[in-house]
Amino acid sequence: MRKSVLDHLLDWSGRIVLISILGFVLLPFVVVAIASLNDGAILSFPPKSWSLRWYANAFEYRDFGAGLVNSLRIAAVGATIALIAGAGFAYVFNRYDFMFKGLLNTVLMSPLIIPNFTIGLGLLILSTAASLPRSIWLVIAVHVVIVLPFVVRSVYVSLKNFERRYEQAAESLGGTPLHVLLTITLPLLLPGLISGALFAAILSFNEFTASLYVVNQRTQTLPVAMYNYVREYADPTLAALSVIYVAPVAAMLLLVHKFFRLEKVLNVD
Amino acid sequence: MLTEISAIAPQDTGEDTAVQIDGVSKSFSGTVALEPIRLKVRRGEFLTLLGPSGCGKTTLLNLIAGFLEADEGELFIDHDLVTQVPPHQRKIGIVFQNYALFPHMSVAQNVAYGLRTRRVPKAETAERVREALALVKLEDFADRRPRQLSGGQQQRVALARALVIRPRVLLLDEPFSALDRNLRSAMQVELREIQSRLGLTTVFVTHDQSEALSMSDRIAVMSRGRIRQIGTPSQIYDRPENHFVSTFVGDANLFAATLLEKTDATASLDIGTTRLSLATFQEELPEPGPVTLFVRPEQCSLTDPDQPGAIAATVALSVYQGSYAELHLDCSVAENGRVMLRVPASEAMEPGTDVGIALPERGPAIYTTTERET
Amino acid sequence: MSKRPFLGWFASPSILIAFGIAASFLAIVQFSLRAHIPGALDPGGFTLDNFTTLWKTVYGKAFVTTVLLCWWTALFTLLIGYPLAYAMVRAKSARLRSAILLISLTPLFLGEIVRTYSWMIVLGNRGFLNATLMQLGVIDRPLDLMFTMTGVVIALVHFTLPIVVVMLAAALSHIDRNLERAATSLGAGRIRCFLTVTLPLSIPGIVTATSTAFAWTFSAFATPQMIGGGKVQTISTLVYQVGFASFNFPLAASLSLVGLLFTIAVLALFNTGIHRLERIGAH
Repeated sequence: MRKSVLDHLLDWSGRIVLISILGFVLLPFVVVAIASLNDGAILSFPPKSWSLRWYANAFEYRDFGAGLVNSLRIAAVGATIALIAGAGFAYVFNRYDFMFKGLLNTVLMSPLIIPNFTIGLGLLILSTAASLPRSIWLVIAVHVVIVLPFVVRSVYVSLKNFERRYEQAAESLGGTPLHVLLTITLPLLLPGLISGALFAAILSFNEFTASLYVVNQRTQTLPVAMYNYVREYADPTLAALSVIYVAPVAAMLLLVHKFFRLEKVLNVD
Repeated sequence: MLTEISAIAPQDTGEDTAVQIDGVSKSFSGTVALEPIRLKVRRGEFLTLLGPSGCGKTTLLNLIAGFLEADEGELFIDHDLVTQVPPHQRKIGIVFQNYALFPHMSVAQNVAYGLRTRRVPKAETAERVREALALVKLEDFADRRPRQLSGGQQQRVALARALVIRPRVLLLDEPFSALDRNLRSAMQVELREIQSRLGLTTVFVTHDQSEALSMSDRIAVMSRGRIRQIGTPSQIYDRPENHFVSTFVGDANLFAATLLEKTDATASLDIGTTRLSLATFQEELPEPGPVTLFVRPEQCSLTDPDQPGAIAATVALSVYQGSYAELHLDCSVAENGRVMLRVPASEAMEPGTDVGIALPERGPAIYTTTERET
Repeated sequence: MSKRPFLGWFASPSILIAFGIAASFLAIVQFSLRAHIPGALDPGGFTLDNFTTLWKTVYGKAFVTTVLLCWWTALFTLLIGYPLAYAMVRAKSARLRSAILLISLTPLFLGEIVRTYSWMIVLGNRGFLNATLMQLGVIDRPLDLMFTMTGVVIALVHFTLPIVVVMLAAALSHIDRNLERAATSLGAGRIRCFLTVTLPLSIPGIVTATSTAFAWTFSAFATPQMIGGGKVQTISTLVYQVGFASFNFPLAASLSLVGLLFTIAVLALFNTGIHRLERIGAH
């Protein structure tokens, strides 16, 4: 097919727009990578001399290490609880009618609209009123509430696409409901369950605003520790940490993409 | 071969009704899917539920399997009341349209599933799985995954999986519709062979009338949640009891006619300006008045338009079908304006040719026009 | 026969969580109606004073700022996100599509802090942008980007872009390509085809994406807090300040509550918009 001048013009302006937008998305991460190699404690562009000392600093700063451990524990426990509760709810929501089903759904999905600072404030007030200690369990509770809707969605989509005939065939072959659940339903839903839990863990690991309301010095998460660091110091340590942060997240995304194809997960295929 | 059959054949209790459906009905949120149904499936019989989509045939199958619960009525399998029994205790085998083979299990594991749920000892399970796979000629595929098999092979696995548990009834839910034409007829023959060899009571659901005619011992034709006629394939084809069955099974030419007079054996009627006297197979004819005359294409023949008793028509289109040609005729007294006849391919005619249609003196059926429905 | 196996077992954990959510919501409502006793963490008796306090200028200003931020962010995110989503869905090679998707998504999983901090380095007085522009001689004085609305909007657009792209791409990918082919076969050029077929059909997706962008911006905290630096005061930063600087939790609760009601009202408005659009589409 022969292209007109207008077509060529459209193609090229389209490419330029696309590249500029992708540039905008990537710009801050490129800049932060350059800044992390800046030798001086005060940022300058381009850096006058280069060094890796801020990386060493990031690894040595104790709050980051403690925050990382807290964040990993909270993400692991929180995602597990959210997976159990969320998958259970998605199952009964998909299969059954019961009293207050709509209300339960509205309440569980409400954290999608309720700002995170309101969720943090609400659970802080609630725990204070109930005289509960500000332990790591309070942080985990906040995270479960926030990531639960995403788990429910992920599992619900898998359940909707689930072929009920598999269960019926298994039942006709003598499988009791529990046996069918364990040998047919769960194994076939596994991809949806894993991606839901993974998504929940990533969200929880990154959660900042609501955590800020409920953590104390002992339970502070990595994002909160990073925030506190920026408020106190202006040196590029955080730039170095940001680079360290990008690597595993990008790797994890690539991994998810390889196994599940993100286009499918996000329904944009 | 004999041992294989005895290993899988259901226990013969000497009774002759395998499934009894006693006034079972079902509605979905106010819409009636199934009017109260009465049906007996004889032991060892291949019974087909035939009807268009939405006629209630799949609902009835799901009720027999226990996937749905009847609103009213009772269901017996082998004289056991099973209306309230969950599917996993009904001892039925089922083959679905898309086979529903468990994708995360091998062929052998699929077939063994129903034995594992029954806690059959390991050695016996292995032996019975081997026998069942031998029966469907898939011994060499035991370790494959379902998605590595062709459609026909998948269907055989599904059949083996359903048979290995020695079901009291085998239910087939449109199992051939996903296969291409050639494979389909081969599988139909094979399935029918296995079924009659094992003497297995089978309920088969389909919307394909030729499949129903070629496979069944008996056919129950369904529409709008009711059984409209039940009988052998030739009873259904040659002596349809009502307008619906006559048009749903096989091709039909319908003429608008006026019934003038009826006696025990014959009826005289006007079709347009032509007066005819006919003998029908029907025991009861409608009251005199406007009626529909039903004639199969092969009962009609071509004749000279001026012949007495011939109905005038004009060739509209001739469709070549290999061994024969379909002649579509414009005919003013046909109910939808068209009549179809089959003639040897060499006798096909040009569009525009005027012809006459000769009706047989025995065979056609007469229905009241109001009975017309889909 | 149990017709609903596992109902109790599967539903109870989520019911427990739902009670927790409901209880914390009630805690906010209850606190918003209690008096603040300076110096004490426990609230006083019931009162409506908190809501009358909200009429003060500083809170009104925060509301206006928040709404303006939401509006500008949603607008620019759409303008940038639509071409990106379009390019992704229409990319001829699967590789290019995956690349665009991965690049657009990565920021979503980096969290607010890393992203906002990165923008601080870009936008600061001695930051990347100002240093580059000054060295190129485009400007001779640093641009005021930190502690301004402009800076906050830039970072917020970056923050909301991934989710908006995903939503727009989902909407665009579900438009039947044959509709565009039909339009082209009837003589429409690419621009006309886009304006008369693709764009109108993607409007429901645009509305959904806009409402999500709005909700995200409204609840954003780290970005206005760190880039606004106290000069750009939003509801979220004010709630935190009222709570943790003056320990006036009753006032923070009432501010949160009003903010939440406002969000719900705006989202409900978007929702009716979508329903109306879908009804038009159905005809």
